[in-house]
Amino acid sequence: MSEVAVSIEHVSKKFRLYHERNQSIKSAVMRGRRSVHEDFWALKDVGFEVPVGSTFGLIGSNGSGKSTLLKCLAKIYYPETGSITYNGKIAALLEVGSGFHPELSGRENIFLNGSILGMSKKEITAKFDEIVDFSGVEKFIDQPVKNYSSGMYVRLGFSVAINVNPDILVVDEVLAVGDTEFQAKCAQKFRDFKNQGRTVILVSHSMTSVREMCDSAAWLSHGELVKVGPADETIDAYLDSLPGASAA
Amino acid sequence: MRYLKEVLASRELLANLTLREIRGQYKRTIFGQLWSLVNPLASMLVYTLVFAFILRVEPEAGDPSGLDIFAVWLLCGLLPFAFFSNVVQQGMGSILGNVGLVQKVYFARIVLPLSKVGSVGYNWLFEMGVLVVVLVIFGAFVWPWLPLVVVTMVLLAIFAAGIALMLAVANVHFRDTQYFVSIIMQIWMYLTPIIYPISLVAVQSDKYGGLFGTSVTILDVYRINPLERFVAVFRQLLYDNRWPDPQDFLLCAIWALAAFTVGLWIFRRSEKGLAEAL
Ligand SMILES: Nc1ncnc2c1ncn2[C@@H]1O[C@H](COP(=O)(O)OP(=O)(O)OP(=O)(O)O)[C@@H](O)[C@H]1O
Ligand SMILES: [Mg+2]
Repeated sequence: MSEVAVSIEHVSKKFRLYHERNQSIKSAVMRGRRSVHEDFWALKDVGFEVPVGSTFGLIGSNGSGKSTLLKCLAKIYYPETGSITYNGKIAALLEVGSGFHPELSGRENIFLNGSILGMSKKEITAKFDEIVDFSGVEKFIDQPVKNYSSGMYVRLGFSVAINVNPDILVVDEVLAVGDTEFQAKCAQKFRDFKNQGRTVILVSHSMTSVREMCDSAAWLSHGELVKVGPADETIDAYLDSLPGASAA
Repeated sequence: MRYLKEVLASRELLANLTLREIRGQYKRTIFGQLWSLVNPLASMLVYTLVFAFILRVEPEAGDPSGLDIFAVWLLCGLLPFAFFSNVVQQGMGSILGNVGLVQKVYFARIVLPLSKVGSVGYNWLFEMGVLVVVLVIFGAFVWPWLPLVVVTMVLLAIFAAGIALMLAVANVHFRDTQYFVSIIMQIWMYLTPIIYPISLVAVQSDKYGGLFGTSVTILDVYRINPLERFVAVFRQLLYDNRWPDPQDFLLCAIWALAAFTVGLWIFRRSEKGLAEAL
């Protein structure tokens, strides 16, 4: 096996499900500072490796812990146990356009969003044309983004994120909003990424696109890793497990 | 050390977020930045009317500046306090106000409260600039003291940032913190000699003498308030035009460092859990 881009070892993540949550000081005092909660393990001892230069898919039904795993990768959540090691710079795209300021123009938001994602002003200036070009919203770049359509929003957000040029890109199912043309553009961008030896980890419910784009895939179910391996085999196993399995 | 490096690496983001606040703030208003003057001016008018005209509060004239204008004297204390109060209240709400960001993107969370220090500080700088012009018009010789004024402003900003950091964390876990704080800020303002001179407190304090048979007076307790020291230093520099009392100045610095150290420590400890707790 070639080099490893991300190695996930025995990662478990616990959430507290509050039955009665102390979100006010009064209730905390009245109940003697004890919130009533039960532990919920959203990830249970998940471990796999993602090789450098591969496109990796993460599949599973709703609530199986895919987004949670991505958030652990993105250092937004910190797992209770286990470790995640990276080999290179990571950028995560969990929701596009988070951090856009509605009153500011597209141009101002590119700079703002770019710096949230860790780019320097110089880098953004250098890539500015490319970002605008890829997003296809040139005409509206000086309009406040609150006047954008939701697709335009996604396009602009995605263009910024993809131009961060990370070694490892983590994407949650955000592309569904774009039109066919933009989705094709993104697929092409992922291929370019791969050709440059970069790694992409993506979550999708569209088995067709996972099959098309990914080399390998992991299947999560109720927080547990069921299967990891070549994309086709994993997808087939996943589809077979579904009731009334046949369609895809 | 690594944390410091990370925060330092985010300074461009900090600048951008501050700009976002500043630019977004008065977008599509006709008077724009002038609005930031309206609040202090309105308070100044009301307080002057009530406390100088009706209640006849008479602070001592500036020594050696010779200034004797209640409204100007008031502003020298009111503007710093308003800055402090705004930074604390906006800074503590900054994590909750950016849920979308905190849950979706990784970055040094500390830039959120700090960007509020920046944006509120920008307005404050503007207000203080206007105050300096007013002081000059009324014949105060403030120029030589401006560098020290700036140093004191930075100290107050550090102090406010420290408090905002502590409360930002508390506010995520207990959402009613912000309501408490807005009440506390009102009380705090009246416990600070902003609209009345501290000499009035001293008179009362002398009347009662030592508390509970000790040599501690009301005035000693009163002066524990860090904002009292800050207001004193600002008045000495701007209104009196003289060297600040070294003890006051030193205490400002100590309070600032202490608050910031504790605030940073608390914030760092809970930073990782913030996204989940939201
Ligand atoms: N902050 C949180 N607090 C409590 N529970 C959470 C939190 N975030 C996620 N969960 C729970 O963790 C489980 C996994 O959620 P996750 O978002 O990872 O699912 P997913 O696989 O991305 O699903 P989908 O396909 O619908 O996006 C869910 O049961 C969810 O309720
Ligand atoms: Mg999800």
